[in-house]
Amino acid sequence: MKDNNEQLSTLIDNEIIDHEVCESQLLDELITNKRQQAQFSRYHLVGDVMRGEVVDQFINIDISQQVMARIEKQAESAQVVTPDTPVYAMKESNNIVSFAKRFSQYAIAASVAGIVVLTSIVTSQPGIENNEPGIEVLNTVPFGGAVAPVSLQASHMQSKQAIKEHNERLDALLKDHQLQLQTQP
Amino acid sequence: MKLKILFSTLIAIVVVMTSGSTFAIETDGMNQASESYIAKKETLTAIEYLQFMQKSYKELNYELLYLNSLQSQVEPKQLIHGVVDDQEIAYFRFLNGAMRESLQYSGKISYFEQGTQAYTLESTLNRSVFANIANFDYEKGQDSYEYIILGKGRIAGKQAIAIRMISKDEYRYSYIVWLDVDSYLPLRLDTLNKSNLILDQVMVVSLLISEKVSPWLDKLSKQQLPQLLNLPQASQKEKSEWAINWLPTGFNVVRNDQHKLVMHNNEPVSYIMLNDGIVSVSIYISAKKITLDEKQKVIQRGATVLYTYQKGDIEINIIGDIPVVTAKRLIESISKVK
Repeated sequence: MKDNNEQLSTLIDNEIIDHEVCESQLLDELITNKRQQAQFSRYHLVGDVMRGEVVDQFINIDISQQVMARIEKQAESAQVVTPDTPVYAMKESNNIVSFAKRFSQYAIAASVAGIVVLTSIVTSQPGIENNEPGIEVLNTVPFGGAVAPVSLQASHMQSKQAIKEHNERLDALLKDHQLQLQTQP
Repeated sequence: MKLKILFSTLIAIVVVMTSGSTFAIETDGMNQASESYIAKKETLTAIEYLQFMQKSYKELNYELLYLNSLQSQVEPKQLIHGVVDDQEIAYFRFLNGAMRESLQYSGKISYFEQGTQAYTLESTLNRSVFANIANFDYEKGQDSYEYIILGKGRIAGKQAIAIRMISKDEYRYSYIVWLDVDSYLPLRLDTLNKSNLILDQVMVVSLLISEKVSPWLDKLSKQQLPQLLNLPQASQKEKSEWAINWLPTGFNVVRNDQHKLVMHNNEPVSYIMLNDGIVSVSIYISAKKITLDEKQKVIQRGATVLYTYQKGDIEINIIGDIPVVTAKRLIESISKVK
């Protein structure tokens, strides 16, 4: 295709001199192939524009028809999709539901102390703060990091599902904590 | 001869003492400080410095570029503060990564984040970086902290003075606050545990003070804010059914309610919030959902601790910038109200 275009372009520029066979082949194709024709006329237009031989109204790159066609099509499909649910019903619940969603991201990241909970467990760090046995200190990563929000170690006794749920809950608590801080009296 | 030995031991002791107590301050800075202190009798006391800092932080027009480092991670941030029509306005943003900005003005705080819809919350409390030390009642705080001038140094190209707030007991962290000697604005804040380990650090790298409020803030103050969101208030009138029978000095119960976790299936929790003017601690008491292998779990990041404790059918979670000991003792003191 690209090759053809190139040939077309040389044809228009009258640069094909001694490849007569090639030329006639090209012309044959041009007669039969609609796409080639369009290309051919476009090249001519480009050439004309470049040589400054074109008066403004001759360039009619008419997209308006296409646009109209699209709009009609969209209007059609929009009509089909239009839900029967009244709009106000959505608005009412909107405030809180989307709130949970929206809040969940930024407010944590914004806080200096945002914790989030992570994959790997780090065993007790003796000497720092707690030496008591039975207390594990988990290393944590902030929200923006690439670590999945999971935390407590999967000791063989506990199912992964339970741990996942527990971590989700901790995550929710942390977010709620941030939220409470924001709206502190 | 004996006298000479005595003298050298004395010097050695002094050296040991200074190096032990100054903690990360250059010794020449220390010398400077004591010299200037002797030279100028009218030099401010530690508490006066801190109170001047509070005033400056609220009243000046300034721009801070600072780094927040927490467990080997450093996050650069920007704060622009000003006063428009006698009201404080503060614009904050993260400088790296996704756009995250906030604007606090006239009792509201708005959050803007790339890819999510912006929202506004009602919040009268200043939430900016040094807000906790800028809002603290230092006079009252003398019950729980001692204030000591550590010495002078240089931060963000400014002459700075370091003041240490030492907790009088083990139930809260200590802090070192560095102030600009000229403007009294805070330049650095270290949070230390009782072994003097830095848990959290905020350090200013550039400070610009201007006569007039930043044109950017002026423009923002006239913008319309995003939609205001309200917390579900319905259940907040009810008090929690739990009481805390022990509080560390300086802490008060500022909230006591039952609410739902909007982020987690609307699960009901009893909630108590404690505050001492610098940190806030959240206590959640709820029904136990999953039994952990251990009765207690501690998650720590920087100064923040999340302590989970299970007892019978009950699970208690404590979140806040407090040492683990404090969380532990708080949990022990929780009892059900009859």
